Amino acid sequence: MKIVVAVKVVADDQDIFVSGDRSLDYSKARQIISTYDTNAIEAAAQLAADNDGTVVAISASTTKADDTKVKKDILSRGIDELFMVADDSLETADSYATAQVLKGIVDANASDYDLILCGDGSADLYAGQVDVQLAAALDVPVINEVTGLKVEGDKVVVERTLEDEVEEIEVPLPAVISVSPNVATPRIPGMREILAAGKKPSSVEGLAGALETKVEVEDIKAPEMTPRKNEIFAEGDIDAFAAAVAEALK
Amino acid sequence: MKALVLAESLDGQRDLCAGARQIADEVVLAVVKGAPQTGIADKAYDVELPEGEAAENAVAGVQAVYDAEQPDVVLIEPTPRNKILGGMVAAKAGASVISDVASFDGDTVTNMYFGGLAEMKQKATGAKFYTVAATAFQPGEATGTDTVETIAYTAPAKALVLKGTKEVPREGADLTKCDVVIGAGRGFAEEADLQMARDLAAKVGGELGCSRPLAENVDWMPRNLYIGVSGLNLAPKAYFALGISGQMQHMVGVTNAETIIAVNKDQNAPIFKQADYGIVGDLYKVIPALIEKL
Repeated sequence: MKIVVAVKVVADDQDIFVSGDRSLDYSKARQIISTYDTNAIEAAAQLAADNDGTVVAISASTTKADDTKVKKDILSRGIDELFMVADDSLETADSYATAQVLKGIVDANASDYDLILCGDGSADLYAGQVDVQLAAALDVPVINEVTGLKVEGDKVVVERTLEDEVEEIEVPLPAVISVSPNVATPRIPGMREILAAGKKPSSVEGLAGALETKVEVEDIKAPEMTPRKNEIFAEGDIDAFAAAVAEALK
Repeated sequence: MKALVLAESLDGQRDLCAGARQIADEVVLAVVKGAPQTGIADKAYDVELPEGEAAENAVAGVQAVYDAEQPDVVLIEPTPRNKILGGMVAAKAGASVISDVASFDGDTVTNMYFGGLAEMKQKATGAKFYTVAATAFQPGEATGTDTVETIAYTAPAKALVLKGTKEVPREGADLTKCDVVIGAGRGFAEEADLQMARDLAAKVGGELGCSRPLAENVDWMPRNLYIGVSGLNLAPKAYFALGISGQMQHMVGVTNAETIIAVNKDQNAPIFKQADYGIVGDLYKVIPALIEKL
């Protein structure tokens, strides 16, 4: 069984700061695997292990993602090979554009795939649409919010957890499936896995042509924070503080 | 201007049709699962879904509505099923769905970037598909006719097979619906000390949430209860930040709170710049005293 997992590499949002002009400052933020994609990687690795399969990771990210540490991180999580297309126009690419690039990677390197897994959404755009766009581009079925997967012949039976019900759905392969974060707990790669990752095949290519985008980004700025009263009390003024709190709770 | 609303829930149908009326002069509603409500759109489409079929299999019906109506904009209730149905139609139109639109300014729409660290203003260059919640619009009444057209079911070539469903009860409090929320942060030294925060919550009729480190770096709270970037976005009447430094990553999740109350021992903590009422002090002394005095 050949499994593909789509991985986005993004700036670590815990270290993005807001500058005085409300633009985002990424200078302290290292590149990481977008959080929910680590769950998709784990689900793919477990599925491959249970079904005598292989997993390749594909990524459409910026040139900053061409970073030894993050590539090793991807490859140390049960992934056999990584194919990345890196171009800075992909930073804010819409889901159509991103899916077209991913389709290009699949067609060139993994056209014999059985299953493509995607995470719930990327840390930056969190659109939850690349899975759908990729399935449309490849003309295969798609399902989302998947919390469990089981291979049965040429089908995958998934558990799909919605807000108020759980569906059991049989998906004919090949297919694109996007998984919820709780589908699998990401492993913490050990030194052995990290060392082995350095020897696994990986390739990084530029974009073949100009990115075909469907959404134009006009502006990215931190929101204005709501003005606050800023009445700050000292510990000794607990009575006055409690009175203010009581008033606010009325 | 014509808007097509693709909605699933009863509230979603009514609220999005009312919202669509604010940006479009013609409103058409399409519903896949269940019958569409009448009187809320100029025309409603009942996209047939045979009993026991997965909703996503009805994509051809939604496509037929889109093709017949040629809307200028498609407003999609952001449910997992609609993300697929609307996304498939968008893909066929060579468009991207812009997700979770929070506000409209003509063709420029705004949504969150990095979980709310920033707002992204953007414009679809071709067909316009947005997932959007009712909160993006001013409150308004939905108006319309009783016209309903049924679109017959056409199964897709590679259909999903729905083998079964079971209902799940909701777990834990829904913090998005709470008037008072208590947020606990790294100022708590031990997991057991969170009891103080729970006691305060009980006293003020609130529920307990946390900052990301308490759900991820240590395992004291469930992940679905952390507030801020990639977690919960809340708008309670009052938010108590206990031992929370006030990093942007956390504060974007409570920026819509009516009142923010902060307890922190560091007078330079950024939380005080974003609090209405704050007290500089040891939370181990302040919280019990506050519970007693409230």
